[in-house]
Amino acid sequence: MIIQIPVISLVFFLLMALIVPLFKRRNFAVTTTLGLIVLLIVWVLTVVLVRDVYLNGPFTYAFGNHESFIGLELLVNLFSAGFALFMLSLIIIIYVYSTSDATEGIAEKEYGRYYILLFILLFAMFGILYTNDLFNTYVFMEILSITTVSIISIKRKKENYTASFRYVMLNEVGSLSYLFGVALLFMVTGHTNIDLVAASIQSSFDDYTANIVTALGFMLTGIGIKAAIFPFHIWLPDAHSTAPTSSSAILSGLVVKLYILIMIKMLFRLFGFDIVSAMNIHIVLMMIGAFGMIMGSVFAIGQTDVKRMLGYSSIAQVGYIVLGISLGTVLGLQAAFFHVLSHGLMKAALFLSVGAVIYHKGVRKVKDFNGMASEMPVVMTVFGLAALGMIGIPLTSGFISKLNLGLASLDANQGYLIIIIIVSGLLNALYYLPILIAAFLKSNKPGDLGLKVEPIPRLMMVPIVVLGLLIVYFGLFPNMILSWFEEIAVVLL
Amino acid sequence: MIFRKNKVCDVPGLTKNVGFWSNFTVRSTLLVVLSMMIVGLFIAGVQGYLVGLSSFLTNIDVIYNVYVSLRDLSWMPLVIISLPLFGVLLSWLVEKHSCNRRDMLVILMTSFTILMSLFLYPNALEGGQTFNIPGVLGLGLSFRVDMLGFTMLMITSVLWFLVMVYAHEYMLKERHSSRFFVFMGITYSSVLGTIMAGDLLTVFLFFEVMTFASYMLVVHGQKDDSYHAGYNYIFMGIIGGFAILIAVMLLYFTVGDLSFASAIHALNEAGNIKFVIIGLLIFGFGIKAGMAPVHVWLPRAHPVAPTPASALLSGIMIKLGAYGILRVATSYYFPQEGADFSAPVWLTSNAVGSSVIWLGIITMTIGVFFALQQSNIKRMLAYHSISQMGYIMMGIGVALYLGSYGAMGYAGALYHIINHALFKSLLFMVAGVVIYHTGEANMYKLGGLWKKLPLSATVCLIAALGISGIPLFNGFVSKTILHHGIVEAYEYHGQMSMVFAERIFIVISAGTVASFIKLFYFVFLRKPDQPHQLNPEYNNLDTAMAMVALLIIFIGLNPNFILNAFIIPQLNMMPYSPTFVDTYIVGMSVFTYDDLTIMIWIVLLGGLIFYFGNKFHLFHIKLPYWLNLEYLVFYPVNVLIRKSCHLMYGDQCKYNAVTLQKLALKDNKDIGFLDRFVLMASIFNNRYEKRIIKSDAFIYTIFITGILTFMLVMRLL
Amino acid sequence: MSFLQTIIDHINYIGAVAIFVIGLHTVVTHSNLIKRIMGINIMGMAIFMFFVAIGSVTGGKPPIIDGDGGPYINPLPSVLILTGIVVVVSITVYSLSLVIRIYETYGTIDQNELLKRMQEEDES
Repeated sequence: MIIQIPVISLVFFLLMALIVPLFKRRNFAVTTTLGLIVLLIVWVLTVVLVRDVYLNGPFTYAFGNHESFIGLELLVNLFSAGFALFMLSLIIIIYVYSTSDATEGIAEKEYGRYYILLFILLFAMFGILYTNDLFNTYVFMEILSITTVSIISIKRKKENYTASFRYVMLNEVGSLSYLFGVALLFMVTGHTNIDLVAASIQSSFDDYTANIVTALGFMLTGIGIKAAIFPFHIWLPDAHSTAPTSSSAILSGLVVKLYILIMIKMLFRLFGFDIVSAMNIHIVLMMIGAFGMIMGSVFAIGQTDVKRMLGYSSIAQVGYIVLGISLGTVLGLQAAFFHVLSHGLMKAALFLSVGAVIYHKGVRKVKDFNGMASEMPVVMTVFGLAALGMIGIPLTSGFISKLNLGLASLDANQGYLIIIIIVSGLLNALYYLPILIAAFLKSNKPGDLGLKVEPIPRLMMVPIVVLGLLIVYFGLFPNMILSWFEEIAVVLL
Repeated sequence: MIFRKNKVCDVPGLTKNVGFWSNFTVRSTLLVVLSMMIVGLFIAGVQGYLVGLSSFLTNIDVIYNVYVSLRDLSWMPLVIISLPLFGVLLSWLVEKHSCNRRDMLVILMTSFTILMSLFLYPNALEGGQTFNIPGVLGLGLSFRVDMLGFTMLMITSVLWFLVMVYAHEYMLKERHSSRFFVFMGITYSSVLGTIMAGDLLTVFLFFEVMTFASYMLVVHGQKDDSYHAGYNYIFMGIIGGFAILIAVMLLYFTVGDLSFASAIHALNEAGNIKFVIIGLLIFGFGIKAGMAPVHVWLPRAHPVAPTPASALLSGIMIKLGAYGILRVATSYYFPQEGADFSAPVWLTSNAVGSSVIWLGIITMTIGVFFALQQSNIKRMLAYHSISQMGYIMMGIGVALYLGSYGAMGYAGALYHIINHALFKSLLFMVAGVVIYHTGEANMYKLGGLWKKLPLSATVCLIAALGISGIPLFNGFVSKTILHHGIVEAYEYHGQMSMVFAERIFIVISAGTVASFIKLFYFVFLRKPDQPHQLNPEYNNLDTAMAMVALLIIFIGLNPNFILNAFIIPQLNMMPYSPTFVDTYIVGMSVFTYDDLTIMIWIVLLGGLIFYFGNKFHLFHIKLPYWLNLEYLVFYPVNVLIRKSCHLMYGDQCKYNAVTLQKLALKDNKDIGFLDRFVLMASIFNNRYEKRIIKSDAFIYTIFITGILTFMLVMRLL
Repeated sequence: MSFLQTIIDHINYIGAVAIFVIGLHTVVTHSNLIKRIMGINIMGMAIFMFFVAIGSVTGGKPPIIDGDGGPYINPLPSVLILTGIVVVVSITVYSLSLVIRIYETYGTIDQNELLKRMQEEDES
């Protein structure tokens, strides 16, 4: 039974996406409740799966019981199941929020479409996580692209069209790049199954260096585009800032991270870090990671729209993760994984709280945030927590990421990277702190700082508060999750 | 009991001055007296007096059992840290009913803190119990209170208590007093945490919390000034915090353990990284301590904060910077106990010490020099804080420089921390009272206040005598010990530069004297141009100030009390030469002929400086702007930024004429470095963002070609 | 001579790469949105050709086992490419529909013109 869980979750998501249109005439709450139930069921199943994998080790699931050189295969290990659990948990939180606020800018009769897209998005995300096949990854990536672009353009606004067009163009180039890499590898190995390809890459690297290296370059670039690593970040700020709030949180907090996870899979499982470091690719990654950490923040400073600013901030944060990966050590990967988690939480919290501000006050410019905390104290407190986490202040999970990343870079004899980490933290402070100061201290109405809770729907408030608590929790007690990440990293290396 | 609505607390001016016999003042005065009596009894008991009383008390089983269980409570530090937070929580519940009740609660909580800290003493004498909380923040936190920590704890809790008594009255005139007390509580608990921390990570954690909580105190006024000062404050704080964070990482990496214990062997093996670590730590803590040249935030932030906050900022919080330096330098960089003076393990601390001495000397010079130029009372006091921090830094430097004979510097630094906390917060309180009653902070516009505010004038005189180092007041004791220290620095190592250091020390002390003559003369003695109308009544402000003044006199009269109760036990735990401590510090007398003559010279010189300064208007010299420190530091950066702007836009910067004009200005006094950077970033953004977006596939082509070529080259190599 | 021989032997791969570069060139240099989509399509087709070329065997027969035996071409790439074509078609359709929307709202499908109009709107 347990072996079927990944497939069952995929089927559940697809079924839910199909069911949504059937409830078109019913009260919309029915759809959202049903969706929540599906999510919770899958969540429980995934918890069971993770527990099983944790106790009994990884297993593969072959579709139709074909041999792995011909059939499709799902690989369930702590890496895939664990991150599936994390992503699903975060999505449930965001989903609860979205039931009240999916609607910003979406026409009423199109609410349902948003949820269809959301569940297909989930389907693709889970597919990417579990699959053990290069070509299958490509297909899921394309499904993810199409759903993402549809979600971005679901709001019928001018800037959404241009943003999603930009997204399509660049991401399609990225996908094709990736596919080209797969083709080159297929040429050498004759397989698309990751394990088989990896084995034959190791054995035939010296004979087919040109092919394998070109494939590495193309795949890295392709995934880099999708993960918005610095020079390819172009599509991200517009796309994430124009999308509906809850999906901005998903896109920035999770989807981008998903591609990073593919990249990890590719670098460590497919090619193996030996080949990657023999080609000095890790230095390239380190450079673009470091450069992205700085430049993302510099671009963010110049923004006037808060959501765009958050988008650029995501680019800088992706730089942290890439930096951690490029170290190629257990500690580095561990730090990268932890940052995937903590940035997911923080960015989701930021996007959701900004979304609540947009929902309640209808403003999204930085200059309109003056005195916001007196009107929306809880939301702005969570925003502040997450922003402090971005800067790397202790008691938030962001600090733990910074600490681990710093220790990891020392451990890998790259101590100078600490300076970049710190400078990037300072740059983050340069754009997050003015918002916080304006929100908490520059009150428009003097003498009005009573502790009243803002009148936004409970279902929006609860997820935001939960995210805030999680940020603090992982800032205080990171060790359990870190030891999990260590296990995952040890397996990968 | 008058019930007031919450709004009364938050709106200034609605509450009238309450007279001496009103409930609140009486009760808080009684509480002050009671607490001070307890502290006094405690210190007396520690010194071996009152044996009868203590044996009587310990003979009662109940009291003894409670005492033992509290003494052995390993998580006592946590209790103490959470007390102020608990107070914040309670006062949030109470403030709806009454503003007075809330303040009483705050005062009670701070007095509890004193009481609870006393129980740490028996363990502190033996080096302190270590209490670990593994797993928190990844590396785990730990707490340990030794005598250094206990000393800081005592001075902090006593002073915080008195300032809270003061704050009740003062905050009646300020808005948002609830917010003020909330953040005061958080700041307090983080200060306590910093003091009781047992490893660097814990210090760092509480230090950061303190930065953010005290930021809210600095900007409490919510005026443009306070935003400016606060922006400066928080960014310097974050930079300092990050410097400490880097040091934490480096230290953890090289030593593998962050708890405050000797790590000199591991550090020596790691090579020059040890100097990087201590440099970062001195920089990070030095920012908080107001060390030159990173003191720039201090003279801005301290004056704009409400007086209770500035009293504590100057009295306690900048001391934490010094405490941090003292703590890390004398733990990680000191050998285990018993190392010889000549042993090579001292070399590192020796090298660090000499630079810290000079940092201290520079700091005290800059502080006094600028203090003499100020007209705003609080600003002047803030500059004096910098200068006095220079004394403390110098003491720390001596403590490191002399190796196992550095006990004198250590004692002097610690003693000066205590003394400066007392008189500087008292001076700020006096300044606060003056501003509270007259609404005027410019000392040249004040005058003749001694008739109107006799008590304030008296305590101000006491504090001024204290800070000037006049015999029979507390400053004299610590300055004399520090002077001994710097003289020894010369005698033991024979470096001529230390003689200069000692001369500068004398001149700076004279400058301090001069500037306090000036303060007292202009504010209290001089005939005013326009007499101020005010009729103050006795209230909490006076209670608090009188009590601090009493403490100053008490220490001044019994200098060995503090030495015996707090400092010598700590020195005995350090790897300092026990014979040196026994010979020179135990039972030392500061009232010797030599020391008194030096003091007389200092006072005479100070008088001369004041006389000539006043006569020739030297106190009004404005330095040309290009000598301004910030200008000097940031000028190259500014030029760079301007140049790069021209690079981007050519001569006609079309995008935004106004911002660019601002950037192009030569004398950029109004626009700070950070603002410049932000402006620059947004200009850069406007210039290139769209262009980058347009060239999406082009970047892809470049990158893919680049990476393939790169790998080809790598392969061929 | 052997160099030329290598080219001739690998003409299918080199041709695919050449088409890929042509497609990329179209995407990079053209500002017309529809032309850029066409460029992407060309890139996609190049990769599909490449994939199919990998699977081909000289003198191979279609992999329909009719008892004759003999070399068959590898069927797997062809199967994969079927999926790939479907994906690229759907992406093309979606982006074309976006172009229609963009044309409706902005009245242009030229990228530079589009950016200029967007900037004007931002400023106004």
